Formats: sequence, C-alpha cells, structure tokens
Amino acid sequence: MLNTKKVLALTLTLLFVFALIPAAAQAAPVYRSLDEIKADGTINIGVFSDKNPFGYVDENGEYQGYDVYFAERIGKDLGVKINYVSTEAANRVEYLETGKVDIILANFTVTPERAEKVDFALPYMNVALGVVSPDSRVITDLSELSADDPVIVISGTTAETYLIANNPEVKLQKYDTYANAKNALENGNGVAWANDNTEVIAFALQNAGYTVGIPSLGSQDTIAPAVSKGNDTLLKWLNDEIVSLADEQFFHKDYEATLAETYGLDYEDSLVVEGGTVKAE
Amino acid sequence: MQALGFEVLWKGKNFARLMGGLWVALRISLIAVGISLVAGVLMGALMTRKNPVVKALTRLYLETVRIMPQMVLLFLAFFGTTRWFGWNLSGETASVIVFALWGTAEMGDLVRGALESIPRHQYESAAALGLDGKQSFLYVILPQTLRRLLPQVINLVTRMIKTTSLVLMIGVVEMLKVAQQIIEANRMKVPNAAFGVYLTVLVLYFLACWPVSLLAKALEKRWS
Amino acid sequence: MGRELLRIEHLHKEFEGKTVLDDLSLTLREGEVAVIVGPSGCGKSTLLRCVNALEPVQGGSIFLDGEEIHADPRKLPQLRQKVGMVFQSYELFPHKSILDNITLAPRMVQKRGREDAEAEALALLERVGLADRAKDYPRQLSGGQKQRVAIVRSLIMHPALMLFDEVTAALDPEMVREVLDVLLDLAKQGRTMLIVTHEMQFARAVADRILFLDDGGIVEEGRPLDFFDHPKTERAQRFLNTFTFETVKE
Repeated sequence: MLNTKKVLALTLTLLFVFALIPAAAQAAPVYRSLDEIKADGTINIGVFSDKNPFGYVDENGEYQGYDVYFAERIGKDLGVKINYVSTEAANRVEYLETGKVDIILANFTVTPERAEKVDFALPYMNVALGVVSPDSRVITDLSELSADDPVIVISGTTAETYLIANNPEVKLQKYDTYANAKNALENGNGVAWANDNTEVIAFALQNAGYTVGIPSLGSQDTIAPAVSKGNDTLLKWLNDEIVSLADEQFFHKDYEATLAETYGLDYEDSLVVEGGTVKAE
Repeated sequence: MQALGFEVLWKGKNFARLMGGLWVALRISLIAVGISLVAGVLMGALMTRKNPVVKALTRLYLETVRIMPQMVLLFLAFFGTTRWFGWNLSGETASVIVFALWGTAEMGDLVRGALESIPRHQYESAAALGLDGKQSFLYVILPQTLRRLLPQVINLVTRMIKTTSLVLMIGVVEMLKVAQQIIEANRMKVPNAAFGVYLTVLVLYFLACWPVSLLAKALEKRWS
Repeated sequence: MGRELLRIEHLHKEFEGKTVLDDLSLTLREGEVAVIVGPSGCGKSTLLRCVNALEPVQGGSIFLDGEEIHADPRKLPQLRQKVGMVFQSYELFPHKSILDNITLAPRMVQKRGREDAEAEALALLERVGLADRAKDYPRQLSGGQKQRVAIVRSLIMHPALMLFDEVTAALDPEMVREVLDVLLDLAKQGRTMLIVTHEMQFARAVADRILFLDDGGIVEEGRPLDFFDHPKTERAQRFLNTFTFETVKE
C-alpha cells in the first residue's frame, strides 16, 4: 500500500511539473507593464516581513527595512500606492513567474539559475561571506588556519557550500541552528565562524571581544530587485531609477536609516552599491 | 518574565496584530471546516456506493488530496491556478479552497468508515418499517454515524486549525507569521523573544481549539 | 378464516449460485397464524426476508393483498407498511428513546401527528407491560424488554401481516416467556402472522398451521396436533426427535 501510494504521489508530482512547463512557456504575458501599473495606481511589491533589518514589520504593523526604504521611494517616484506582499525565500521566483507581484525586493541575491527565470535590475547591495573570530586570535586569512583549527558553519548555508568547494583543506564544524553555532564560538569549540558577511558583522558588533577578520571572502554576490521575465518596461524604469538615485547617494541614506544600527558605519561602503555599479575591489 | 521576552508583545500594536493573525487562521479554518463537514457527509455517502466508477473516482480524489503535502496543494491553488487559468485568487481564498478540499476528503473517509460500521440490520429494520432510502439515511443511519464520528471529527477540526499556519507560504499573514515578524523585528534588542512569543502562540492555539473539544464533550454527554 | 392475504408462487432464491429456496409455494389467509419450523439453514429466515423484499428473488412471485411485492422497487416502502417484521436481534435504534423508536415510522412514513402517535405508542407499551419505560433508551432495557418494544414498533404501523424471525433465539431462557406471551396475545386478537421459531411447545400452542421446511422446500404441513404427534414424513420425524430425550437414569 505504501509503495503504490509513493508511486502515485510521484506520478502526480511529475504530471504537475510537466503541466507547469508548457503553461509557463506559452501563456500570454503574466506581468503588468509599467503603463498598466501606473494606470492601476497600485504596485505589488514582494518583500520579506520577517528579515530584520532588510524587510520586516514593526510593532505598529508597518513594513520597514533596507528593501522597504527603497520600495517606498519606487512608489513615490512612480506616483502609485504600494501593496506589500509578504514573501518567503522559497516562493519569490514563483511570485514573479505568475505575475502575482510586480517587483520582488526581498534581499534577492543574483544568481545565474534565478536569472533564467526572472529579470534582475541593477544591484543595490553587495553580499559576500565573512569570517569572525575572537580578539585573542583574529583570523584575517584562511591560510592562518592549521589542520586542527575547526571553522564553525551552519549546515546548508552558502558558507558551508563555498568552503567545501573552494577550501577543502579547512576543517568544518557544522551546527544546525544559529543559536548552536553562536554557543560553539563562545565556548571556543571552533577558532572562527564563517557566515554571510552581514551576519558576522552584526555578531561582532553586538558581542564584545570578536572581530570580523575576513569581511569579504570569495566571489562577491549582489542583491538586486527582480521583475517577471520579459517585463522590459518596468525593468528599464527600475534601472534608470537606480542610476539616477546615485546623484543623491540614495542607498547610502537608506543604509544609514536602516542598516547602520545593525552593521555599523565601517562597512557602509563595502555593502552599499550606488548607481548599480559594483566597485572593483 | 523579562528573560522570556514577553514584553515584545506589549510593544505598539503587537498583541492586537497577533490576535488579528489568530482571527485570520480561524476564519480560514472555520469556513473550510464548515464546507468540509457538509461536503464530507455527501462524499462519505458517495464512497459507500457500489458503483465501480464512483468508487474509483472518490478513491482517486481521496488519495490525491491525502498524498499531496498541503504545502504543494496551496502552491497549486495559489500559483498554479494563475499559471493555468489566469485566475488571480487571493491567498485567503486559495487557502480556504485547499483546506476545504482536504477536509472534505478526510471527512468523507471518516463518514464512509462510520457508515460502514453501522450494522446492516439497522438499514433493514428501518426499511421493514416502511422508511424509504432517504428517510432511513436521515433519521436512522446518519444520527448514529455522527455520534460515532464525533471524536474523529474533533481531531480533524483541530488538525485543520493548526495546519493553517502553512498558509504563510502563499503570503497570508496569520498568527504564526505575525509571531515570526514580531520575533524578527526584535531579534537584536530582545534576542530571546522567541520563547515568550511562541509560548503565547501555543496558548492561543490551545484556547482556539479548546471550545471545540468542550463542545464535543458536551455533545458526547448528551448523546451517551 | 378470512380471505387470502399472502400468496407465494414457485419462489426460487439462491445465494451465489447455491439454491436456498426451491419452487416454494404457500398461501396465508387473513387471521391465520402459520409457524415455520425446520433445521438450521433450511431457508426459514430467508423465506421471511423475501416476503418483506429484504432479499432479491431469482424466480417466482410473492403477492400481498393481490399486489406483487418484487415488481416495483418504488412501491416497496408502501407495501412494507402492510408487513411488520421483528428480528432476532431487536434492532431498535440506539440513538432514540423507546417512545421515539416506536413513533418514528408512523410520524415520518404515515405522517401521523406526534400526539396521536405517542398516545397509541403508550397504549401499546401498556399492553406489553412497558409503559413506564417510554422515556428510556434501548441500552437501559433487557433483551426481552427490547424485543417487546420491537414488536410494538411494528404493531403501531397497523400491518396486515406480521413476520417474526426467531424473535426469542437471542434471549436468555427466563426472558423467552415474556416475549412469547405477547405473541400468544396477538394470535388471540386474530392477527395474521408468519412465525419462524425453534420453540416447539410454543409453536404447538400458537399455530393454526405448521410448515416444516427442509432443503429449501415445504416438506410437510398440517395442523399442529397432527404434525407434532403424527408426523407423516421421515424427515419431520427425525427433526422432531432431536427435541426429545430418553431418560438415562432410573
């Protein structure tokens, strides 16, 4: 019985997957063009509602954060009202593929896989990996690690994948949750902790006695707004907007208003991307 | 209590937001439960039919809805209907549809089981008294079925209320999502708010499900 | 004896290819009490169930008051009102009080008023000595009491014919009598009854006619005294012998 059920489940899943592919390919545009959005008077923007300080909801029920600060400006410059849609990491692509939101502004890292399904606008932030370690022995380069110096990572994160692929000589100590990894570092189980650089920067800022010795490890990724594949009018408008906002150093203001409290001002220039141009390191 | 982070609940409108989230969860589950109870009785009656086509179709429906994780069903109802038919269902409508479909299938199976557990002689003695099929079902079989069903139905209803937390995946902000929002908004200043907030959510879910089991106890007492 | 009420012609009944009733014919007149006896599995209960169309038949026909029972399923509820049936296992409705068990059919099927139905129910309960149990539920009653209620539940429909299917078989011995007394009382009132039973003393007392059934057919029939004291067929003699014992000790 269990086996027939499994087979049936698999068949059904495959059926649905196959049903999805042609539908997506042949359907009329799912998205709304720039003019349609303006005519409607409301833009749907997908943001995180629980990723402080990028997109979250404050105690008065208002959306806040680095992404939301930008979204508010988009609404203002387009002259439309904003309807915020609470998204999850796992459904951001789906929201754009079905046109259920016009823009995703949810800490969306640009990757080649995603770029096949959605259109990314110019970036407005950098992300990379970072490594934090105790002040007693600050690790500034992975080569300082000896063979028995374990580095703490959280299972399933980019840091884990990156280190396994690029620095197989580094000994990893894996934890399931943020809290466990934090405890491990505090107890000295590992000599350093590798994670998204925003995370380690915030950690060092809040916990005295720790320093981010490596603020940017490996290839740098960018965060950008995304629209439905093919929504060129909206994409062009967004790109123009991002370029023109450089004149007033908009994203620096955004950083200072939303991120500075968490990450401090030291990293402002390395995290913010202004005018869509990533500065060469 | 400071250590458990309860204080975040009293910041701004947080507690009202949490209650609002509870209301969203209850609204979705109660509408879905209402539909499921009625449609489930019909479904259960259909499932006891001898007709092989009816049998196969109801079986297929039940197994499909059961096997598919509710999360997949929610995605299909919310995003899938947009892809295939261009419908733009709201997250809440899609949730009600999914939970009603799921509840009807589960309820139907419970009703089928209960109907089949009523001895054949009960049907016969009703028929021998001259009751027709409809009267026999309505006055003799169904009331006994419902009494047998009660505990399982209560279980299903509370399961449905608790499973509504999945609807956050299609953008519906219900209690659990509000809880996550509150915890995250305070993650720097009150890092252990999770304890207090989740404990509160637990208590609120309990308070929501409690009247259901009280009602069940009262009915059971009346019927026994 | 009155006019003919029930006529069974060449009845043929099988279960999954196995013949249970074979070319069985029988008539019953108004006011007549016929008792069917015979070994287990001879088809006695099946015959009763066919008369009430609880079983489909594969051949022959059954007429009640001139109307064929198996002809039109839509007419069944109507025809069944003329036939009362009492089962071995009482089959009261457990979720209804005694009074509601009795008044359900008259109110829903015959559309009688509640007061009217309840008044008659109470009168009938009085007659079987259970008037004080009207508000109780079936599970509060003993087997014998439940069976008396089941009889009342049938009687209130004013059936022309009553069928009793081994109504004492599930009862403890001390309760058998209270049920059989009710049946004797009904016979005295001149009701038409078809009774299946293993109580030979009772059969002798209540019957106008005994039908001895074996292997799906009526092997012998006659007045009770003739049948019990001078059975004509060898099979009937053998059957009756199973109820007598030789004394083994002086």
